Amino acid sequence: MRTTTADTSRPEIAYVLLLAQAIFWMVAGLSALPFVLGGEIHMLGLGLATLLLALVACLVSIGILWRRRWARCVAIWFEAACLVGSALQLLLPIGANHGPVGLLTNVALPAAAIWLLWGRRTRAVFG
Amino acid sequence: MYSVSAEHAIGLVGGLIALPLAIIGLRFHPRRRSAPGTVQAAAVLMVVTGAVHLALIPHHLATQPVTSALFLLNGVAFIVLAASFTWRWWRVASCGLLIATVLGYLFYVGVGLEGPDQVGIATKLVEVVALGLVLVPLRAERVAHPKWRHAAIGVATPLLIVMTGATVWIVDLARPDARHVHAGALLQATNTIPTPAQVDAANRLYAETKAAIAPYQDWHLAWAAGYRPGGSTSLPSTHWMNQGYVNAGYVMDPYRPQGLVYANTHHGPMLLGAMFQMKGLNRFGPDPGGPMTAWHQHENICFTPFGFEFSLMTPFATCPIGAIDISAPPMLHVWIVDNPHGGPFAVDIDSSVVAALDRT
Repeated sequence: MRTTTADTSRPEIAYVLLLAQAIFWMVAGLSALPFVLGGEIHMLGLGLATLLLALVACLVSIGILWRRRWARCVAIWFEAACLVGSALQLLLPIGANHGPVGLLTNVALPAAAIWLLWGRRTRAVFG
Repeated sequence: MYSVSAEHAIGLVGGLIALPLAIIGLRFHPRRRSAPGTVQAAAVLMVVTGAVHLALIPHHLATQPVTSALFLLNGVAFIVLAASFTWRWWRVASCGLLIATVLGYLFYVGVGLEGPDQVGIATKLVEVVALGLVLVPLRAERVAHPKWRHAAIGVATPLLIVMTGATVWIVDLARPDARHVHAGALLQATNTIPTPAQVDAANRLYAETKAAIAPYQDWHLAWAAGYRPGGSTSLPSTHWMNQGYVNAGYVMDPYRPQGLVYANTHHGPMLLGAMFQMKGLNRFGPDPGGPMTAWHQHENICFTPFGFEFSLMTPFATCPIGAIDISAPPMLHVWIVDNPHGGPFAVDIDSSVVAALDRT
């Protein structure tokens, strides 16, 4: 359990967060597919695209665990895009859910991932 | 599932208060520097979930003493474990407690001892993330079987998240509370049994609306009046909306309903009924028939402009990519065809009615 001061576990924490996020998207992708049976054909494309996104998020999380520089850049942009989308949903008067689960998964999680991967010291550990 | 239960709100407050206290407590922990960040983060999350459980005790004590006792044990165990992260068996004990707590919640929800709500789901998400943090091995860490730990994350985290989502969703759809029907639509609060005056008023509304929309049995006239299909016509039925009437905000006017519902039969569109819609969210319309004419508001819909299609938001508040979470203003349907299961003002038309129309 002991680590040296030069080590940081920020990538490991970010890995867990991104992995959880990938599973949330996987569930969202799967949830669209039953509607295809009801005749909503566009939901097939959206469901598959979401599953693909979940796969990409999973690969990025593994890249972060392996300290890959590209994975850190992708993850920061990815989470920033999520934050912007979530902010729009929260601010626009469209009746979007403002519950604690949405705030956790759509705001706190991306914000925490960006915070964990941001900064010169963290960047230095990515090869 | 999408709202915070009144008796659980205090748990949310407990968790939020515990978060800064846990971070401050961790700063003063004498062995903090010997533990990696993952362990420290897991300890903070365990204090938060422990505090949520402890805060729930007062509201459950009178009616559910066994549950309260379990909350007490659980809360204390989480806080004690969080404080003793240098213990040799900390990871094993933490994993056991976290998994048991998530499974215990799913059992409670599954058998109906607890209703799924935002506080419960949020707490489970915190616990699953804490579990991932407990399991994840560090690069510099010397562990005997790092692959086993990675495999455990790869199995336990997705499995617990999917099990939580599936259980909560199935229970919410199968056993909605009194004010939620039809895939989570929120019903207007009314009296339980209609009075004779309310029955008369509902009958009048039905007769007036049926007469007023009769010309629209010819869909060409509906088109000429400004109604347009509001979604795919390959579905069994489609709502045709009149944007002019929506914008004007007419309230339950039988001659100017905001929407018409057509069955998509092989003879072409066949009129099923009308739909009144309010202009703004959370403002239910007049309710002359009491429980017979209760309005409903669709919430947490994942709407996509691609083909104007809908799916439902997941318990984790996510929608498929390209869809956004919206709510639709309150609406009231008036079915002019026989709707044996729900009646003339039901939230939805019986699918067998639409199928029968298509066969004729």
